[in-house]
Amino acid sequence: METTAKPEQRAAPAALFAALVFIPVFFFSAAIAGREISRLYALAWALFSGGIAYAIAFTGSVSGPRRIFFSVSALAFLVHFKLSLLGKALAPSCFTDTPFCHIAMAPYFLNYLYQQYLALMSGGWKLWGPLTLGGAWLFVTLAIGRAWCSWACFYGGIDDGLSALPRRPLLRLGNWALRLRDLPAALLIFFMLVSLAYMLPVFCLWLCPFKLTGSFLDGQGWHKTAQYALMYAALAALVIAPLLTKKRIFCSYLCPFAAWQAFWGRLNPFRVTADPALCTGCLKCTQACPMTAISCAPGGKAEVSAYCNLCGQCLEACPGAGFRYTLFGLELPRAAGFFRELFAVKYLYVFSALTLGAAFSSLWAPAALRDLVKLLGF
Amino acid sequence: MPALFSEGFLLGLSTGFYCLASCLPLLAPYLMAEGKAAWKFNFYIFLQFLGGRFAAYMLFALLASLAGKAGQYALPSWLLPASMAGCGGLMAFLAVSRVSVKGGPCFLKKDLNPWFSRLPLVLGFVTGINICPPFAAGFIRLLELADVPKGFAYFGGFFAATSLFISPVLLGTPWLGRRANEIGRLTLLIAGLWYLALGLSGLFK
Repeated sequence: METTAKPEQRAAPAALFAALVFIPVFFFSAAIAGREISRLYALAWALFSGGIAYAIAFTGSVSGPRRIFFSVSALAFLVHFKLSLLGKALAPSCFTDTPFCHIAMAPYFLNYLYQQYLALMSGGWKLWGPLTLGGAWLFVTLAIGRAWCSWACFYGGIDDGLSALPRRPLLRLGNWALRLRDLPAALLIFFMLVSLAYMLPVFCLWLCPFKLTGSFLDGQGWHKTAQYALMYAALAALVIAPLLTKKRIFCSYLCPFAAWQAFWGRLNPFRVTADPALCTGCLKCTQACPMTAISCAPGGKAEVSAYCNLCGQCLEACPGAGFRYTLFGLELPRAAGFFRELFAVKYLYVFSALTLGAAFSSLWAPAALRDLVKLLGF
Repeated sequence: MPALFSEGFLLGLSTGFYCLASCLPLLAPYLMAEGKAAWKFNFYIFLQFLGGRFAAYMLFALLASLAGKAGQYALPSWLLPASMAGCGGLMAFLAVSRVSVKGGPCFLKKDLNPWFSRLPLVLGFVTGINICPPFAAGFIRLLELADVPKGFAYFGGFFAATSLFISPVLLGTPWLGRRANEIGRLTLLIAGLWYLALGLSGLFK
Protein backbone atom coordinates (compact mmCIF):
# COMPACT_ATOMS: atom_id res chain seq x y z
CA MET A 1 0.00 0.00 0.00
CA GLU A 2 1.19 3.54 -0.63
CA THR A 3 2.57 4.69 2.71
CA THR A 4 1.59 8.26 1.79
CA ALA A 5 -2.07 7.26 2.21
CA LYS A 6 -3.72 7.89 5.60
CA PRO A 7 -3.90 4.93 8.02
CA GLU A 8 -7.70 4.69 7.72
CA GLN A 9 -7.35 4.56 3.92
CA ARG A 10 -4.81 1.78 4.19
CA ALA A 11 -6.69 -0.32 6.72
CA ALA A 12 -9.53 -1.56 4.49
CA PRO A 13 -7.41 -2.77 1.55
CA ALA A 14 -4.97 -4.29 4.06
CA ALA A 15 -7.82 -6.16 5.77
CA LEU A 16 -9.05 -7.44 2.41
CA PHE A 17 -5.57 -8.59 1.53
CA ALA A 18 -5.23 -10.33 4.91
CA ALA A 19 -8.56 -12.11 4.33
CA LEU A 20 -7.43 -13.21 0.87
CA VAL A 21 -4.39 -14.84 2.44
CA PHE A 22 -6.18 -16.19 5.51
CA ILE A 23 -8.87 -18.16 3.65
CA PRO A 24 -6.64 -20.47 1.54
CA VAL A 25 -4.10 -20.85 4.35
CA PHE A 26 -6.82 -21.93 6.78
CA PHE A 27 -8.28 -24.30 4.20
CA PHE A 28 -4.95 -26.07 3.59
CA SER A 29 -3.80 -25.87 7.18
CA ALA A 30 -7.02 -27.41 8.46
CA ALA A 31 -6.84 -30.10 5.81
CA ILE A 32 -3.22 -30.97 6.59
CA ALA A 33 -2.93 -30.52 10.37
CA GLY A 34 -6.60 -31.13 11.12
CA ARG A 35 -6.21 -34.81 10.33
CA GLU A 36 -4.51 -35.43 13.67
CA ILE A 37 -4.78 -32.34 15.87
CA SER A 38 -7.44 -29.77 16.66
CA ARG A 39 -8.30 -27.38 13.86
CA LEU A 40 -7.85 -24.56 16.36
CA TYR A 41 -4.10 -24.83 15.86
CA ALA A 42 -4.58 -24.57 12.11
CA LEU A 43 -6.79 -21.54 12.71
CA ALA A 44 -4.09 -19.94 14.86
CA TRP A 45 -1.51 -20.48 12.12
CA ALA A 46 -3.83 -19.08 9.45
CA LEU A 47 -4.55 -16.04 11.63
CA PHE A 48 -0.84 -15.47 12.09
CA SER A 49 -0.32 -15.67 8.32
CA GLY A 50 -3.24 -13.32 7.75
CA GLY A 51 -1.71 -10.94 10.29
CA ILE A 52 1.56 -10.95 8.36
CA ALA A 53 -0.36 -10.17 5.16
CA TYR A 54 -2.10 -7.29 6.95
CA ALA A 55 1.22 -5.91 8.21
CA ILE A 56 2.72 -6.03 4.71
CA ALA A 57 -0.26 -4.33 3.10
CA PHE A 58 -0.66 -1.75 5.84
CA THR A 59 2.98 -0.72 6.09
CA GLY A 60 3.94 -1.33 2.46
CA SER A 61 7.07 -3.06 3.72
CA VAL A 62 7.65 -6.66 2.58
CA SER A 63 10.95 -7.61 4.14
CA GLY A 64 10.23 -6.98 7.84
CA PRO A 65 6.96 -8.93 8.23
CA ARG A 66 8.27 -11.55 5.79
CA ARG A 67 11.29 -12.11 8.01
CA ILE A 68 9.07 -12.58 11.07
CA PHE A 69 6.88 -15.10 9.24
CA PHE A 70 9.87 -16.93 7.79
CA SER A 71 11.75 -17.16 11.09
CA VAL A 72 8.68 -18.25 13.05
CA SER A 73 8.05 -21.00 10.49
CA ALA A 74 11.65 -22.23 10.77
CA LEU A 75 11.54 -22.08 14.58
CA ALA A 76 8.33 -24.09 14.53
CA PHE A 77 10.09 -26.67 12.37
CA LEU A 78 12.92 -26.90 14.91
CA VAL A 79 10.50 -27.16 17.81
CA HIS A 80 8.40 -29.85 16.25
CA PHE A 81 10.95 -32.04 14.53
CA LYS A 82 14.37 -31.42 15.97
CA LEU A 83 14.05 -30.53 19.64
CA SER A 84 11.88 -33.58 20.14
CA LEU A 85 14.84 -35.70 19.11
CA LEU A 86 16.90 -34.37 22.02
CA GLY A 87 14.42 -35.35 24.70
CA LYS A 88 10.89 -36.48 25.36
CA ALA A 89 9.73 -33.09 26.60
CA LEU A 90 8.71 -32.04 23.12
CA ALA A 91 7.69 -35.37 21.68
CA PRO A 92 6.13 -34.80 18.27
CA SER A 93 2.42 -34.86 18.52
CA CYS A 94 1.43 -36.06 15.10
CA PHE A 95 4.04 -36.07 12.34
CA THR A 96 6.85 -38.30 13.46
CA ASP A 97 8.98 -37.99 10.33
CA THR A 98 10.41 -34.88 8.78
CA PRO A 99 8.84 -33.98 5.45
CA PHE A 100 10.89 -35.10 2.49
CA CYS A 101 13.69 -32.58 2.33
CA HIS A 102 13.62 -30.33 -0.71
CA ILE A 103 17.35 -29.64 -0.42
CA ALA A 104 18.18 -33.32 -1.02
CA MET A 105 16.07 -33.26 -4.17
CA ALA A 106 18.47 -31.10 -6.21
CA PRO A 107 21.77 -32.92 -5.58
CA TYR A 108 20.01 -36.26 -5.94
CA PHE A 109 18.32 -35.36 -9.22
CA LEU A 110 20.33 -37.70 -11.49
CA ASN A 111 19.65 -40.57 -9.12
CA TYR A 112 15.91 -39.85 -9.35
CA LEU A 113 16.16 -39.90 -13.12
CA TYR A 114 17.96 -43.23 -12.98
CA GLN A 115 15.39 -44.56 -10.53
CA GLN A 116 12.55 -43.53 -12.84
CA TYR A 117 14.33 -45.21 -15.73
CA LEU A 118 14.51 -48.44 -13.69
CA ALA A 119 10.88 -48.07 -12.66
CA LEU A 120 9.87 -47.64 -16.29
CA MET A 121 11.88 -50.64 -17.42
CA SER A 122 10.72 -52.92 -14.62
CA GLY A 123 7.12 -51.77 -14.32
CA GLY A 124 7.74 -51.05 -10.63
CA TRP A 125 5.17 -48.28 -10.40
CA LYS A 126 5.63 -47.93 -6.65
CA LEU A 127 9.00 -46.39 -7.45
CA TRP A 128 7.28 -43.46 -9.12
CA GLY A 129 7.11 -41.52 -5.85
CA PRO A 130 9.76 -38.98 -6.84
CA LEU A 131 7.53 -37.92 -9.72
CA THR A 132 5.04 -36.60 -7.17
CA LEU A 133 7.84 -34.68 -5.51
CA GLY A 134 8.95 -33.42 -8.93
CA GLY A 135 5.39 -32.29 -9.69
CA ALA A 136 5.19 -30.44 -6.37
CA TRP A 137 8.53 -28.78 -7.03
CA LEU A 138 7.42 -27.69 -10.52
CA PHE A 139 4.26 -26.17 -9.07
CA VAL A 140 6.23 -24.29 -6.41
CA THR A 141 8.76 -23.09 -8.97
CA LEU A 142 6.08 -21.81 -11.32
CA ALA A 143 4.22 -20.14 -8.44
CA ILE A 144 7.04 -18.46 -6.52
CA GLY A 145 10.35 -19.52 -8.10
CA ARG A 146 13.34 -18.39 -6.08
CA ALA A 147 11.13 -16.88 -3.41
CA TRP A 148 10.99 -20.37 -1.92
CA CYS A 149 14.31 -19.51 -0.27
CA SER A 150 12.90 -16.41 1.40
CA TRP A 151 9.42 -17.61 2.41
CA ALA A 152 9.22 -21.37 2.82
CA CYS A 153 12.56 -23.11 3.36
CA PHE A 154 13.08 -24.15 6.99
CA TYR A 155 16.86 -23.82 6.67
CA GLY A 156 16.55 -20.36 5.21
CA GLY A 157 14.31 -19.16 8.01
CA ILE A 158 17.05 -19.84 10.55
CA ASP A 159 19.76 -18.22 8.44
CA ASP A 160 17.57 -15.23 7.62
CA GLY A 161 16.34 -14.66 11.18
CA LEU A 162 19.83 -14.85 12.64
CA SER A 163 21.29 -12.53 10.00
CA ALA A 164 18.80 -9.87 11.12
CA LEU A 165 19.91 -9.93 14.77
CA PRO A 166 23.20 -7.99 14.76
CA ARG A 167 23.03 -4.27 14.23
CA ARG A 168 26.10 -4.26 12.02
CA PRO A 169 28.42 -6.97 10.67
CA LEU A 170 31.35 -7.93 12.88
CA LEU A 171 33.04 -9.54 9.91
CA ARG A 172 33.10 -8.18 6.37
CA LEU A 173 33.66 -10.62 3.53
CA GLY A 174 34.89 -8.00 1.06
CA ASN A 175 35.61 -9.18 -2.47
CA TRP A 176 35.48 -12.82 -1.43
CA ALA A 177 31.73 -12.58 -1.03
CA LEU A 178 31.34 -12.20 -4.82
CA ARG A 179 34.28 -14.37 -5.78
CA LEU A 180 32.84 -17.40 -4.01
CA ARG A 181 29.25 -16.67 -4.99
CA ASP A 182 29.13 -19.51 -7.52
CA LEU A 183 30.24 -22.09 -4.97
CA PRO A 184 26.70 -23.50 -4.45
CA ALA A 185 26.38 -24.08 -8.19
CA ALA A 186 29.69 -25.95 -8.17
CA LEU A 187 28.60 -27.92 -5.11
CA LEU A 188 25.32 -28.76 -6.79
CA ILE A 189 27.03 -30.16 -9.89
CA PHE A 190 29.55 -32.03 -7.75
CA PHE A 191 26.86 -33.56 -5.53
CA MET A 192 24.73 -34.53 -8.52
CA LEU A 193 27.66 -36.35 -10.13
CA VAL A 194 29.04 -38.12 -7.06
CA SER A 195 25.58 -39.04 -5.79
CA LEU A 196 25.05 -40.79 -9.11
CA ALA A 197 28.49 -42.37 -9.03
CA TYR A 198 28.06 -43.78 -5.51
CA MET A 199 24.27 -44.18 -5.58
CA LEU A 200 24.18 -42.38 -2.24
CA PRO A 201 22.69 -39.08 -1.03
CA VAL A 202 26.14 -37.53 -0.64
CA PHE A 203 24.87 -34.11 0.48
CA CYS A 204 22.85 -35.68 3.31
CA LEU A 205 25.82 -37.80 4.35
CA TRP A 206 28.49 -35.13 4.23
CA LEU A 207 27.11 -31.64 4.55
CA CYS A 208 23.56 -31.48 5.88
CA PRO A 209 23.59 -29.42 9.10
CA PHE A 210 20.26 -30.88 10.26
CA LYS A 211 21.45 -34.43 10.76
CA LEU A 212 22.32 -33.60 14.37
CA THR A 213 20.97 -36.87 15.56
CA GLY A 214 23.80 -38.95 14.11
CA SER A 215 21.72 -40.65 11.46
CA PHE A 216 22.96 -40.35 7.87
CA LEU A 217 26.53 -41.00 8.91
CA ASP A 218 28.94 -43.67 7.81
CA GLY A 219 29.68 -46.24 10.48
CA GLN A 220 33.37 -46.13 11.10
CA GLY A 221 36.75 -44.56 10.58
CA TRP A 222 37.81 -41.22 9.25
CA HIS A 223 34.68 -40.97 7.08
CA LYS A 224 32.57 -40.56 10.18
CA THR A 225 35.00 -38.04 11.68
CA ALA A 226 35.09 -36.05 8.44
CA GLN A 227 31.31 -36.17 8.16
CA TYR A 228 30.94 -34.84 11.70
CA ALA A 229 33.49 -32.09 10.99
CA LEU A 230 31.70 -31.00 7.82
CA MET A 231 28.31 -31.17 9.54
CA TYR A 232 29.54 -28.84 12.29
CA ALA A 233 31.08 -26.54 9.69
CA ALA A 234 27.74 -26.39 7.86
CA LEU A 235 25.96 -25.83 11.17
CA ALA A 236 28.34 -22.95 11.93
CA ALA A 237 27.60 -21.51 8.48
CA LEU A 238 23.89 -21.75 9.25
CA VAL A 239 23.92 -20.43 12.82
CA ILE A 240 27.11 -18.54 13.69
CA ALA A 241 28.18 -17.01 10.37
CA PRO A 242 24.94 -14.98 9.89
CA LEU A 243 25.46 -13.47 13.34
CA LEU A 244 28.97 -12.38 12.38
CA THR A 245 28.35 -11.18 8.84
CA LYS A 246 24.66 -10.24 8.63
CA LYS A 247 24.59 -12.45 5.52
CA ARG A 248 22.84 -15.76 4.89
CA ILE A 249 26.06 -17.72 4.61
CA PHE A 250 24.69 -21.26 4.42
CA CYS A 251 22.08 -20.30 1.82
CA SER A 252 24.51 -18.19 -0.21
CA TYR A 253 27.56 -20.43 -0.24
CA LEU A 254 26.64 -24.01 0.65
CA CYS A 255 23.04 -24.75 -0.26
CA PRO A 256 22.78 -26.74 -3.51
CA PHE A 257 19.04 -26.17 -3.67
CA ALA A 258 19.58 -22.40 -3.73
CA ALA A 259 21.71 -22.83 -6.86
CA TRP A 260 19.16 -25.22 -8.35
CA GLN A 261 16.34 -22.79 -7.69
CA ALA A 262 18.39 -19.86 -8.99
CA PHE A 263 18.64 -21.72 -12.29
CA TRP A 264 15.06 -22.99 -12.58
CA GLY A 265 13.55 -19.97 -10.85
CA ARG A 266 13.84 -18.12 -14.15
CA LEU A 267 10.66 -19.95 -15.14
CA ASN A 268 8.80 -17.87 -12.58
CA PRO A 269 7.82 -14.36 -13.70
CA PHE A 270 8.45 -12.50 -10.42
CA ARG A 271 11.59 -10.40 -10.35
CA VAL A 272 13.25 -7.69 -8.30
CA THR A 273 14.30 -5.11 -10.86
CA ALA A 274 16.77 -2.26 -10.37
CA ASP A 275 16.08 0.98 -12.19
CA PRO A 276 19.45 2.32 -13.45
CA ALA A 277 18.03 5.83 -13.74
CA LEU A 278 17.38 5.93 -10.00
CA CYS A 279 20.65 4.29 -8.96
CA THR A 280 23.25 6.63 -7.47
CA GLY A 281 25.80 3.86 -6.90
CA CYS A 282 25.71 4.27 -3.12
CA LEU A 283 25.96 0.44 -2.69
CA LYS A 284 23.52 0.40 0.24
CA CYS A 285 21.61 -2.34 -1.55
CA THR A 286 24.69 -4.58 -1.78
CA GLN A 287 25.28 -4.16 1.96
CA ALA A 288 21.63 -4.86 2.74
CA CYS A 289 21.26 -7.91 0.49
CA PRO A 290 21.65 -10.97 2.75
CA MET A 291 22.23 -13.25 -0.25
CA THR A 292 25.09 -11.30 -1.88
CA ALA A 293 22.93 -11.23 -4.99
CA ILE A 294 23.50 -7.60 -5.96
CA SER A 295 26.72 -6.48 -7.56
CA CYS A 296 27.98 -3.29 -9.08
CA ALA A 297 27.67 -3.50 -12.87
CA PRO A 298 29.97 -1.61 -15.25
CA GLY A 299 28.90 1.99 -15.02
CA GLY A 300 28.44 1.85 -11.27
CA LYS A 301 24.82 0.73 -11.32
CA ALA A 302 23.30 -2.02 -9.21
CA GLU A 303 22.76 -5.36 -10.93
CA VAL A 304 20.52 -8.08 -9.48
CA SER A 305 21.79 -11.61 -10.10
CA ALA A 306 19.88 -14.87 -10.51
CA TYR A 307 20.66 -15.68 -6.88
CA CYS A 308 18.18 -13.03 -5.71
CA ASN A 309 15.38 -14.66 -3.74
CA LEU A 310 13.11 -11.60 -3.71
CA CYS A 311 13.31 -11.03 0.05
CA GLY A 312 12.75 -7.28 -0.38
CA GLN A 313 15.65 -6.02 1.73
CA CYS A 314 17.02 -3.92 -1.13
CA LEU A 315 13.65 -2.23 -1.71
CA GLU A 316 13.85 -0.71 1.73
CA ALA A 317 17.60 -0.08 1.76
CA CYS A 318 17.67 1.95 -1.46
CA PRO A 319 17.39 5.67 -0.65
CA GLY A 320 16.23 6.44 -4.18
CA ALA A 321 13.52 3.74 -4.28
CA GLY A 322 15.32 2.23 -7.25
CA PHE A 323 14.11 -1.35 -6.76
CA ARG A 324 10.66 -2.77 -7.38
CA TYR A 325 8.88 -6.08 -7.88
CA THR A 326 8.08 -6.78 -11.52
CA LEU A 327 6.82 -9.52 -13.83
CA PHE A 328 9.77 -10.32 -16.11
CA GLY A 329 10.87 -6.69 -15.62
CA LEU A 330 7.44 -5.22 -16.40
CA GLU A 331 4.82 -3.68 -14.14
CA LEU A 332 1.06 -4.15 -14.26
CA PRO A 333 -1.01 -1.30 -15.71
CA ARG A 334 -2.39 1.04 -13.04
CA ALA A 335 -5.88 0.07 -11.90
CA ALA A 336 -8.59 2.39 -10.66
CA GLY A 337 -10.88 2.14 -7.63
CA PHE A 338 -10.61 1.87 -3.86
CA PHE A 339 -8.53 -1.32 -3.87
CA ARG A 340 -6.33 -0.27 -6.79
CA GLU A 341 -3.15 -0.53 -4.74
CA LEU A 342 -3.69 -4.25 -4.35
CA PHE A 343 -3.45 -4.69 -8.11
CA ALA A 344 0.30 -4.38 -8.09
CA VAL A 345 2.98 -6.97 -8.79
CA LYS A 346 4.19 -6.64 -5.20
CA TYR A 347 0.90 -7.87 -3.73
CA LEU A 348 0.45 -10.54 -6.37
CA TYR A 349 3.88 -11.82 -5.42
CA VAL A 350 3.33 -11.58 -1.66
CA PHE A 351 0.01 -13.39 -2.00
CA SER A 352 1.63 -16.29 -3.91
CA ALA A 353 4.66 -16.57 -1.65
CA LEU A 354 2.91 -16.10 1.69
CA THR A 355 0.01 -18.42 0.89
CA LEU A 356 2.30 -21.14 -0.42
CA GLY A 357 4.82 -20.73 2.41
CA ALA A 358 2.10 -20.83 5.05
CA ALA A 359 0.37 -23.84 3.48
CA PHE A 360 3.68 -25.72 3.32
CA SER A 361 4.49 -24.77 6.93
CA SER A 362 1.17 -26.30 7.95
CA LEU A 363 3.04 -29.60 7.92
CA TRP A 364 4.66 -28.59 11.22
CA ALA A 365 3.70 -25.10 12.45
CA PRO A 366 0.25 -25.94 13.97
CA ALA A 367 1.72 -29.09 15.51
CA ALA A 368 4.62 -27.10 16.97
CA LEU A 369 2.10 -24.75 18.55
CA ARG A 370 0.40 -27.74 20.12
CA ASP A 371 3.77 -29.00 21.38
CA LEU A 372 4.34 -25.68 23.11
CA VAL A 373 0.85 -25.66 24.60
CA LYS A 374 1.45 -29.15 25.95
CA LEU A 375 4.83 -28.13 27.31
CA LEU A 376 3.25 -25.24 29.19
CA GLY A 377 0.95 -27.78 30.82
CA PHE A 378 -2.38 -26.91 29.24
CA MET B 1 39.96 -61.74 -32.45
CA PRO B 2 36.65 -60.14 -33.62
CA ALA B 3 34.88 -62.42 -31.15
CA LEU B 4 37.00 -61.05 -28.34
CA PHE B 5 36.40 -57.47 -29.51
CA SER B 6 32.65 -58.22 -29.45
CA GLU B 7 32.93 -59.78 -26.00
CA GLY B 8 34.66 -56.67 -24.66
CA PHE B 9 32.15 -54.46 -26.46
CA LEU B 10 29.23 -56.35 -24.90
CA LEU B 11 30.82 -56.10 -21.45
CA GLY B 12 31.14 -52.35 -22.03
CA LEU B 13 27.53 -52.07 -23.21
CA SER B 14 26.16 -54.00 -20.24
CA THR B 15 28.20 -52.24 -17.58
CA GLY B 16 28.73 -48.89 -19.26
CA PHE B 17 26.34 -47.03 -16.99
CA TYR B 18 28.59 -47.72 -14.00
CA CYS B 19 31.58 -46.66 -16.04
CA LEU B 20 29.76 -43.42 -16.80
CA ALA B 21 29.09 -42.90 -13.11
CA SER B 22 32.79 -43.23 -12.36
CA CYS B 23 34.06 -41.05 -15.21
CA LEU B 24 31.40 -38.33 -15.18
CA PRO B 25 32.51 -36.57 -11.97
CA LEU B 26 35.91 -36.15 -13.62
CA LEU B 27 35.08 -35.35 -17.21
CA ALA B 28 31.99 -33.16 -16.76
CA PRO B 29 33.64 -30.50 -14.53
CA TYR B 30 36.68 -30.45 -16.80
CA LEU B 31 34.61 -29.91 -19.93
CA MET B 32 32.58 -27.31 -18.12
CA ALA B 33 35.71 -25.53 -16.97
CA GLU B 34 37.58 -25.55 -20.26
CA GLY B 35 34.84 -25.84 -22.87
CA LYS B 36 33.71 -23.02 -25.14
CA ALA B 37 30.50 -22.16 -26.89
CA ALA B 38 31.93 -23.95 -29.94
CA TRP B 39 31.02 -27.56 -30.37
CA LYS B 40 34.14 -28.38 -32.39
CA PHE B 41 36.46 -27.13 -29.68
CA ASN B 42 34.69 -29.17 -27.02
CA PHE B 43 34.71 -32.22 -29.28
CA TYR B 44 38.46 -31.80 -29.67
CA ILE B 45 38.85 -31.79 -25.87
CA PHE B 46 36.65 -34.86 -25.71
CA LEU B 47 38.72 -36.65 -28.35
CA GLN B 48 41.91 -35.88 -26.46
CA PHE B 49 40.31 -37.17 -23.29
CA LEU B 50 39.33 -40.38 -25.09
CA GLY B 51 42.84 -40.64 -26.49
CA GLY B 52 44.33 -40.53 -23.00
CA ARG B 53 41.78 -43.03 -21.79
CA PHE B 54 42.49 -45.33 -24.70
CA ALA B 55 46.22 -45.21 -23.93
CA ALA B 56 45.50 -46.12 -20.30
CA TYR B 57 43.25 -49.01 -21.36
CA MET B 58 45.84 -50.39 -23.72
CA LEU B 59 48.52 -50.07 -21.07
CA PHE B 60 46.34 -52.05 -18.70
CA ALA B 61 45.58 -54.60 -21.39
CA LEU B 62 49.31 -55.06 -21.85
CA LEU B 63 50.07 -55.28 -18.12
CA ALA B 64 47.15 -57.60 -17.38
CA SER B 65 48.05 -59.91 -20.25
CA LEU B 66 51.68 -60.03 -19.09
CA ALA B 67 50.56 -60.60 -15.50
CA GLY B 68 48.30 -63.40 -16.69
CA LYS B 69 51.19 -64.95 -18.56
CA ALA B 70 53.30 -64.77 -15.41
CA GLY B 71 50.53 -66.39 -13.38
CA GLN B 72 49.89 -63.27 -11.30
CA TYR B 73 46.11 -63.20 -10.87
CA ALA B 74 45.49 -60.47 -8.32
CA LEU B 75 45.52 -56.70 -8.59
CA PRO B 76 47.75 -55.00 -5.98
CA SER B 77 45.53 -53.54 -3.26
CA TRP B 78 47.13 -50.08 -3.47
CA LEU B 79 46.37 -49.69 -7.17
CA LEU B 80 42.77 -48.50 -6.93
CA PRO B 81 43.30 -45.88 -4.17
CA ALA B 82 46.58 -44.74 -5.75
CA SER B 83 44.93 -44.20 -9.14
CA MET B 84 42.07 -42.37 -7.47
CA ALA B 85 44.44 -40.13 -5.48
CA GLY B 86 46.50 -39.44 -8.61
CA CYS B 87 43.40 -38.48 -10.53
CA GLY B 88 42.07 -36.26 -7.72
CA GLY B 89 45.46 -34.64 -7.22
CA LEU B 90 45.71 -33.72 -10.86
CA MET B 91 42.23 -32.22 -10.91
CA ALA B 92 42.82 -30.20 -7.74
CA PHE B 93 46.20 -29.05 -9.04
CA LEU B 94 44.63 -27.93 -12.29
CA ALA B 95 41.96 -25.94 -10.48
CA VAL B 96 44.25 -24.41 -7.85
CA SER B 97 46.98 -23.49 -10.31
CA ARG B 98 44.46 -21.24 -11.98
CA VAL B 99 43.77 -19.16 -8.90
CA SER B 100 43.35 -15.56 -9.90
CA VAL B 101 45.61 -13.01 -8.28
CA LYS B 102 43.37 -10.11 -9.24
CA GLY B 103 39.83 -9.40 -8.12
CA GLY B 104 36.92 -10.80 -10.06
CA PRO B 105 33.67 -12.68 -9.76
CA CYS B 106 35.43 -16.02 -9.27
CA PHE B 107 38.70 -16.77 -7.55
CA LEU B 108 39.57 -19.41 -10.15
CA LYS B 109 39.36 -17.28 -13.25
CA LYS B 110 42.87 -17.01 -14.65
CA ASP B 111 43.13 -17.74 -18.36
CA LEU B 112 44.42 -21.09 -19.47
CA ASN B 113 48.18 -21.44 -19.34
CA PRO B 114 49.61 -23.06 -22.52
CA TRP B 115 51.16 -25.64 -20.23
CA PHE B 116 47.70 -27.07 -19.71
CA SER B 117 46.89 -27.52 -23.39
CA ARG B 118 47.60 -31.26 -23.25
CA LEU B 119 45.71 -31.78 -20.02
CA PRO B 120 42.66 -33.53 -21.50
CA LEU B 121 45.01 -36.27 -22.67
CA VAL B 122 46.55 -36.59 -19.21
CA LEU B 123 43.18 -36.41 -17.53
CA GLY B 124 41.86 -39.12 -19.84
CA PHE B 125 44.85 -41.26 -18.95
CA VAL B 126 44.43 -40.90 -15.18
CA THR B 127 40.70 -41.52 -15.58
CA GLY B 128 41.55 -44.64 -17.53
CA ILE B 129 43.76 -45.96 -14.76
CA ASN B 130 41.09 -45.03 -12.18
CA ILE B 131 39.72 -48.54 -11.89
CA CYS B 132 35.94 -48.87 -11.72
CA PRO B 133 33.97 -52.13 -11.22
CA PRO B 134 33.34 -52.80 -14.96
CA PHE B 135 37.00 -52.13 -15.63
CA ALA B 136 38.00 -54.62 -12.92
CA ALA B 137 35.68 -57.23 -14.48
CA GLY B 138 37.38 -56.77 -17.84
CA PHE B 139 40.76 -56.83 -16.19
CA ILE B 140 40.15 -60.25 -14.68
CA ARG B 141 39.15 -61.60 -18.10
CA LEU B 142 42.45 -60.28 -19.44
CA LEU B 143 44.39 -62.09 -16.74
CA GLU B 144 42.60 -65.23 -17.80
CA LEU B 145 43.33 -64.67 -21.51
CA ALA B 146 47.03 -64.02 -20.84
CA ASP B 147 47.64 -62.98 -24.46
CA VAL B 148 48.69 -59.46 -25.44
CA PRO B 149 46.99 -59.13 -28.91
CA LYS B 150 43.82 -60.76 -27.57
CA GLY B 151 43.95 -58.42 -24.59
CA PHE B 152 44.17 -55.40 -26.91
CA ALA B 153 41.17 -56.64 -28.92
CA TYR B 154 39.13 -57.31 -25.80
CA PHE B 155 39.88 -53.97 -24.14
CA GLY B 156 39.50 -52.17 -27.47
CA GLY B 157 35.90 -53.38 -27.62
CA PHE B 158 35.37 -52.49 -23.99
CA PHE B 159 36.75 -48.99 -24.58
CA ALA B 160 34.55 -48.43 -27.65
CA ALA B 161 31.37 -49.39 -25.83
CA THR B 162 32.06 -47.42 -22.65
CA SER B 163 32.96 -44.36 -24.72
CA LEU B 164 29.43 -44.39 -26.11
CA PHE B 165 28.09 -43.89 -22.59
CA ILE B 166 30.40 -40.96 -21.93
CA SER B 167 29.71 -39.11 -25.18
CA PRO B 168 26.33 -37.52 -24.14
CA VAL B 169 28.33 -35.24 -21.85
CA LEU B 170 29.07 -33.17 -24.96
CA LEU B 171 25.42 -32.33 -25.50
CA GLY B 172 25.26 -29.44 -23.05
CA THR B 173 28.60 -27.89 -23.88
CA PRO B 174 27.63 -25.59 -26.80
CA TRP B 175 25.88 -23.38 -24.22
CA LEU B 176 28.96 -22.95 -22.08
CA GLY B 177 29.91 -19.39 -21.29
CA ARG B 178 32.43 -17.61 -19.10
CA ARG B 179 30.26 -18.02 -16.01
CA ALA B 180 29.83 -21.76 -16.62
CA ASN B 181 33.61 -22.06 -17.00
CA GLU B 182 34.09 -20.46 -13.60
CA ILE B 183 31.55 -22.77 -11.99
CA GLY B 184 33.23 -25.71 -13.74
CA ARG B 185 36.59 -24.75 -12.26
CA LEU B 186 35.16 -24.64 -8.76
CA THR B 187 33.52 -28.02 -9.36
CA LEU B 188 36.83 -29.37 -10.62
CA LEU B 189 38.51 -28.23 -7.41
CA ILE B 190 35.86 -29.79 -5.17
CA ALA B 191 35.80 -33.07 -7.13
CA GLY B 192 39.60 -33.20 -7.17
CA LEU B 193 39.84 -32.74 -3.41
CA TRP B 194 37.14 -35.36 -2.91
CA TYR B 195 38.93 -38.01 -4.98
CA LEU B 196 42.28 -37.09 -3.47
CA ALA B 197 40.90 -37.54 0.06
CA LEU B 198 39.22 -40.84 -0.82
CA GLY B 199 42.33 -42.14 -2.55
CA LEU B 200 44.68 -41.16 0.28
CA SER B 201 42.35 -42.65 2.88
CA GLY B 202 42.38 -45.91 0.91
CA LEU B 203 46.16 -45.88 0.70
CA PHE B 204 46.74 -45.31 4.41
CA LYS B 205 43.93 -47.47 5.72
